Amino acid sequence: MPEEKERSIDGATVELIKKAERENISTVFSRADVMKPCPIGVEESCCKICGMGPCRLPRSKKDEGKARVGVCGATIETVVARNFARKIAAGTASHSDHAREVVSTFLKTARGETMGFSIKDEIKLLEVALDFGIEIEGRPMKEIAIELGEKALAEFGKQDGELVYVKKAPLKRQEIWKKYGVTPRGIDREVVEMMHRTHMGVDQDYKHILLQATRTALADGWGGSMISTDLQDIMFGTPVPVLGAINLGVLKEDQVNIIVHGHEPLLPEMLVVASRDPELKQMAIKAGATGINLTGMCCSANEVLMRHGIPSAGNFLQQELALITGAVDLMTVDVQCQMQGLQGVAECFHTKLVTTSDRAMIEGATHIEFHPEKGLDTAKQILKMAIENYPNRRHAVYIPSHSQDMVAGFSHETITYLLGGLFRASYRPLNDNIANGRIRGVAGVVGCNNVRTTHDAAHIAMIKELIKNDVLVLTTGCAAMACGKAGLLTPEAAKEFAGSGLAEVCETIGIPPVLHMGACVDNSRILIAAAAMVKEGGLGDDLSDLPVAGAAPEWMSEKALAIGHYFVASGVFTVFGTTWPTMGSEKVTKHLFEEYEEMFKGMWAFEMDPVKAAHLMIDHIDKKRKALGIDKARDRVLYDMAMRRALD
Amino acid sequence: MADEYQYDEKENFDGKKVKVLGATYETGKAEGCSDWRAKLETRDEKVNYLKSALRYWYSKDWYGSEKRKQEV
Repeated sequence: MPEEKERSIDGATVELIKKAERENISTVFSRADVMKPCPIGVEESCCKICGMGPCRLPRSKKDEGKARVGVCGATIETVVARNFARKIAAGTASHSDHAREVVSTFLKTARGETMGFSIKDEIKLLEVALDFGIEIEGRPMKEIAIELGEKALAEFGKQDGELVYVKKAPLKRQEIWKKYGVTPRGIDREVVEMMHRTHMGVDQDYKHILLQATRTALADGWGGSMISTDLQDIMFGTPVPVLGAINLGVLKEDQVNIIVHGHEPLLPEMLVVASRDPELKQMAIKAGATGINLTGMCCSANEVLMRHGIPSAGNFLQQELALITGAVDLMTVDVQCQMQGLQGVAECFHTKLVTTSDRAMIEGATHIEFHPEKGLDTAKQILKMAIENYPNRRHAVYIPSHSQDMVAGFSHETITYLLGGLFRASYRPLNDNIANGRIRGVAGVVGCNNVRTTHDAAHIAMIKELIKNDVLVLTTGCAAMACGKAGLLTPEAAKEFAGSGLAEVCETIGIPPVLHMGACVDNSRILIAAAAMVKEGGLGDDLSDLPVAGAAPEWMSEKALAIGHYFVASGVFTVFGTTWPTMGSEKVTKHLFEEYEEMFKGMWAFEMDPVKAAHLMIDHIDKKRKALGIDKARDRVLYDMAMRRALD
Repeated sequence: MADEYQYDEKENFDGKKVKVLGATYETGKAEGCSDWRAKLETRDEKVNYLKSALRYWYSKDWYGSEKRKQEV
């Protein structure tokens, strides 16, 4: 059995793993001890898409040199590419179905059919309306919003042409997508076509399968995810910097603790409103508590943190541990990354686990379905249930004391503002500081936790190495939460952890060296920030020219693969850690790791050691700096009048 | 008066050590958030902001690296 320190670098997590072991409560950590990864599945050398199998095609020394084929004749390349592509389709479907729910709520809100929702950010409404080619001159907000909702919804069912957001990418990038025929047409169409082409006996050329996987991933990054982010911003406000706190220490023994867990911010937004209701506060006091303490978990936490400063209880691997404190009166879950094990843990305590989406139920949990038409009422109903459950606490409460302040809320709009204020908002200062070398480059470090690697360790080791080397880090999802816990999301962290150049820039602007940009759908914000850097000028003509790199050192979900693949297809060198799902085929891996660079100017890499991975990223950044001619410091030349006149 | 401030030692462009004014932020924790977007009140102000701050997509002119491309 591994030592606790090997399971997490976070003190609160280690304390609660020990408590779970003492009390014999099953958690993801204890289950991982007995359930080892399948050696064939881990390299995706298994095909189970038809009833003639499953066909196991592992590499073996005995059969070296022999063709590895399934009973239908599908080669190992086809099998591995299909498995990889289907994961991307699932990841894209997840972000995009989230987006569909957001668009549907947005449209109902615009039509006045929801309860508690409104259009909060008119600037963002106008911005997105312009993206969709909607006439805004002299038209009321409501009319613009309805047209936008209808057009956004149409993006899912579109059959031909291209997604609206494709045109936000640099022109050169759009040309590359056209050249390889991977410009996404409609969000649902790409997912459906991917599933069809990976059905038994359809697409059986691994390179061709991977092209559709690329188009599907692009439908996520430049489609579903981007729509989610933008319409959520319109309804709930575009994030601006806000102080929050993170880790299990944000739970309060003397208050009614409610955790919102999952991904869609629709119900969580209503819970924020309801938790401030004086009547409910009074009800909590009558129940013996001193108040209501709403906190978040996983990406739901990121959403309410970014917009309201609601504290985060923790990231993916802490979800069961939060309940083991005995202090959680109710946890809501909607979609994605919520473990079924939660119900078993909840039953050991008084905690009520409430599923809220019509698409996701958990056996044994209470189901209170959220519908935006009665959103606020549902939120109040859930809070009442939590308050009524507060007196039922039957175990001694144990809340670890760990809690850390952090600043979140760095939307790309806010970054533009911070770089120049209202009148000179621009990416120019960022580009200038990259060109002059104070900032070596920019890295997007995102993704999940994975119980097969030490919780949070790879995120923090990689990010500390990057910022030490003057690489500005943009982060989202569970990676961002790991950074929060490690104290990397405060402006003071620049002085302590960043290289002198990056620290100087951060100090001047007043930002942390690691910028929290939101939930996993908000990786689209990173795409847009990178596109703005290109369009500002001076750093090449395409995303692949920029000194940037991406990583997900602790990834585990199919969504992470979709994200990674749309970054690669957008021209970004992307390194994953922990495990890599195409190891079963050298040809498929070589195609993604090497040949994709020729085609898309971005490629995948896999490295388990996070510090070595950081150096792969830094090497790539340096390669791009050299190509741009900004790899060497140049002497400052002050131009006199004659020299100025000599300029053309 | 100057003693109230903290100074840091840094290198100037010639590599010479110089004293520069250190951090001057207020102590304590921020409450709420400062929503810079609320400063834009009218529709015109908002649209003009989009056309200037986010000119990469909303200005009528092509901008930066892509301007050159459009002019060829």
